[in-house]
Amino acid sequence: MALLEVKNLDVRFAVRGGDLTALRGISFTLDKGERLGLVGESGAGKSVAAFSVLNLIAKPGYIAGGQILFEGKDLAAMSERELRKIRGNRIAMIFQDPMMTLNPVLTIGTQMVEAILAQRKISKKEARAIALDRLQKVQIPSPEKRLDQYPHELSGGMRQRVIIAIALLLDPEIIIADEPTTALDVTIQAEIMDLLLNLCEQENVALMLITHDLGVVSQVTQRMLVMYSGRIIEQGPTREIINDAQHPYTQGLINALPQMGEPGERLFQIPGSMPSLKNVPSGCPFHPRCNFATEQCKQSMPEYVRSGNVDVACYEVANLIEQEKRMQEAES
Amino acid sequence: MTTATVSRWDRFRESFFWYSFKRDKVAIASFAVLLLMVLAAVFAPLLAPTDPYDLAQINIMNSELPPVGLDGADSAFPLGTDAQGRDLLSTILYGTRVSLMIGFGAVVLQAFLGILFGLLAGYLGGKVDAILMRIADVQLSFSTLMVAIIVGAVFKASFGNLMFGEIAIYMLIFIIGVAEWPQIARTVRASVLAEKKKEYVDAAKVMGFGTRRIMFRHILPNTLSPIFVIATVQIANAIISEAALSFLGLGMPETQPSLGSLIKSGFDYIQSGSWWITLIPGLVLVVLVLVINLLGDWLRDVMNPRLYKG
Amino acid sequence: MLAFLVQRISQALLVMFVISVIAFAIQDGLGDPLQEMVGMSVSEEEREAIREELGLNDPMVVQYLRFAGNALQGDLGNSYFYSKPTLEVIAEHLPATLELVIGASLIIVFLSVPIGVYAAIRPQAWLSKFFMGVSTVGISIPVFLTAIVLIQLFSIGVRVEWFPADTGWGQWLNGFFTTEGGLPSYGRGDELTHLFGTWESGFFTGTGLMHLVLPCVSLASIMLPLFIRLIRAEMMEVLQSDYIRYARAKGLGAGRINFLHALKNTMLPVITVGGVQIGIMVAYTILTETVFQWPGVGLMFLEAITRSDIPLIVAYLMVVGLIFVITNTVVDLVYGLVNPTVKLTGKKA
Repeated sequence: MALLEVKNLDVRFAVRGGDLTALRGISFTLDKGERLGLVGESGAGKSVAAFSVLNLIAKPGYIAGGQILFEGKDLAAMSERELRKIRGNRIAMIFQDPMMTLNPVLTIGTQMVEAILAQRKISKKEARAIALDRLQKVQIPSPEKRLDQYPHELSGGMRQRVIIAIALLLDPEIIIADEPTTALDVTIQAEIMDLLLNLCEQENVALMLITHDLGVVSQVTQRMLVMYSGRIIEQGPTREIINDAQHPYTQGLINALPQMGEPGERLFQIPGSMPSLKNVPSGCPFHPRCNFATEQCKQSMPEYVRSGNVDVACYEVANLIEQEKRMQEAES
Repeated sequence: MTTATVSRWDRFRESFFWYSFKRDKVAIASFAVLLLMVLAAVFAPLLAPTDPYDLAQINIMNSELPPVGLDGADSAFPLGTDAQGRDLLSTILYGTRVSLMIGFGAVVLQAFLGILFGLLAGYLGGKVDAILMRIADVQLSFSTLMVAIIVGAVFKASFGNLMFGEIAIYMLIFIIGVAEWPQIARTVRASVLAEKKKEYVDAAKVMGFGTRRIMFRHILPNTLSPIFVIATVQIANAIISEAALSFLGLGMPETQPSLGSLIKSGFDYIQSGSWWITLIPGLVLVVLVLVINLLGDWLRDVMNPRLYKG
Repeated sequence: MLAFLVQRISQALLVMFVISVIAFAIQDGLGDPLQEMVGMSVSEEEREAIREELGLNDPMVVQYLRFAGNALQGDLGNSYFYSKPTLEVIAEHLPATLELVIGASLIIVFLSVPIGVYAAIRPQAWLSKFFMGVSTVGISIPVFLTAIVLIQLFSIGVRVEWFPADTGWGQWLNGFFTTEGGLPSYGRGDELTHLFGTWESGFFTGTGLMHLVLPCVSLASIMLPLFIRLIRAEMMEVLQSDYIRYARAKGLGAGRINFLHALKNTMLPVITVGGVQIGIMVAYTILTETVFQWPGVGLMFLEAITRSDIPLIVAYLMVVGLIFVITNTVVDLVYGLVNPTVKLTGKKA
């Protein structure tokens, strides 16, 4: 049994004039110690997917259907009280912007100790000792001093280290990291990413990494899923997807990477932009931007087909596989 | 010409503004009550049974009669009479007229000052901005009421009671307008600063338009909706300020009463049990201010402009 | 930090200078000390001689410098009506006003925080909507009218029995509202405790407290709706922030999130605005004191206006100006010193 199994998750936003669908039929699994990447443009629903795992979607969003099975128990159906025992304790989160994540008026120590005391019945002193140990683990200089400092006294990189330390406080099974380095200086992004990767390996923690950076995904994760307009359009082993992407959108993303082009050449660009939630096109949401789009793509959403170890939702890919199969049959 | 107005009317009826107004019961009711009160005030000379300014129509024998429904009431005076024997309904109609005139007048003045200074401060920036906003800060930290009371006291002391009474309406418009301009100026400045960054201002500059033209023809129209919201609330504030000044004896004289001076004159008789002289005008004042505030809240929700916070 | 301090204090001094110029202009424009000092029979030459002697013919700047110099030494002239130094008169009346402001502030703090927080946490609850409705109405009622209604209800009493007389609580309520002189509505009462200097307090005796109730409630009524709305708005904004969502992701309980994480961030801006507002309340004491004949500086000021007691008016302006400037400066300094996060992160500044 997978550690985390999300089945057919639907998330909607209740707004004036009807609901908007933010996530449709999302399914994926995460095994113990595995590292999974969620990739997509901003607005594709990556963050919503991350937050919905812990049932933390901001209002007016709500889970409209599907299951989120953590060790077999459905988080989507849990009471707030039961959820609290999971949050921070079994599944920890790392937010995007360390400047906004820590409460500006409470010391680092307070914010670490309270997270421990919310889950464990131990003394403040013991909790403080745990906090100190985790700060050492994230290699923060003079950790003792940090406990009594306020967030604004720390740099962005140091704050993100603190947040990683908080994520590790209670030895969780899963860490969900929502673009943990995008808000940081380019120079320290790699440093923080390395730290996170090493700690996850060392502690055998599963990582769900949300990012738009394909480079990071290819270096850090074992499996990845690509999201577009609230749907997963391709998922499978990271290496396979990066080396041989099936879906036209994923291919476009990879071709748009700077390292794919020749120096001095214009970078590849996927024409158009992702539709907003208010006017998602019919059928495959990518069809208005897709070179291979047919009448069928406009009519209905394609089912997943398997190519190698990768699941893809695309009629073009399905047809190619079909053709290949026929050719093989014809040969034999 | 007619086609233009028709299409404009159609456009208005299809607008979000009209749509949300139709759906908001509180806004409709407030607007209806306000319209009724404004009409009653405008047509006070036609509606009022007696002319409270005409001493010949007043009989002191009729003083302190209670409203209809209480013992000793006279049906000629539906809301009773005040201590001088004036019909309360008539004085309230005329009083509402005076209060509304001062409210609107003061807001027109403060809008003029506020827009002018706000535009200058926001558009020119630098020293002009620093000086104007410092003055605004100081005035606001003193509270507009305090400023109005002080200016009122100085005027009253320098003009003397009689003279002040004669020109009281203009004085009050001046005092309240001058005391409250910072509110609008700050809002205008904030929206000018936001507008200034936008491209159309650069475009206008590149096209060689002068500063004044850019400020009044290009920036001002884009800052109108927050001004409109603030101005609505400011009318309510001006009416309350006027009432407060009149209550302190720094406003309208009793011979030409506003709602505030009616409340003041009635207050002296509240201990003798004649509560209606002060509480009925008080109720009218509260309803008037409340419906304006409710409309202001509604406007704020609909227009959602960048209001100056704090 | 030192630069900030120097900047704030020099700003305060500048404002005080402007106030003193205005005060001087009023004194110079309105007050003719001769009228008070000499009778009608004095000849024009003699008047001129006295003018010369008093320095009234000196250039304006010299006269202002003399005025400012005297003011710095605590001499703002003598009141015409009381025939003693104006500052002495103000010192006698100030404690009464301060007690009013303190009482009203206590009411505001103890009511606005819980109500504002509740309305922010449960914006859809009927009780929140009720409170917000009441505060909209509250903003629309002028403070003197609140005072009059309170006097009518709790002091004079009403002659109508509003509540059903066949129930126990109905009888009690009827009895309460129809009793004449339920709560005092005039002055401070005659049992005041002497604290120090000119400060006599009503907080320590039964009648003293009874006399404080209606004036304090009226004065609080003007600021209470503003504070409730402010706290609610700030708190709702804070509740939207990332660090609140993060606190939930850490598995913290609603109590700790609302009352520690959110409330602490809410109160910082509220305290700033609140400090300034409490200064502004001094202006409203003029109205409250008039209605309740409360012997504070507000009533004294209004009487000085009707009596054309120019030196007392001028002294009041200077003292109240000083109070405003000090509260504003202290609030600014406290905000700048206690809460460096605001300046360093450059947010919310």
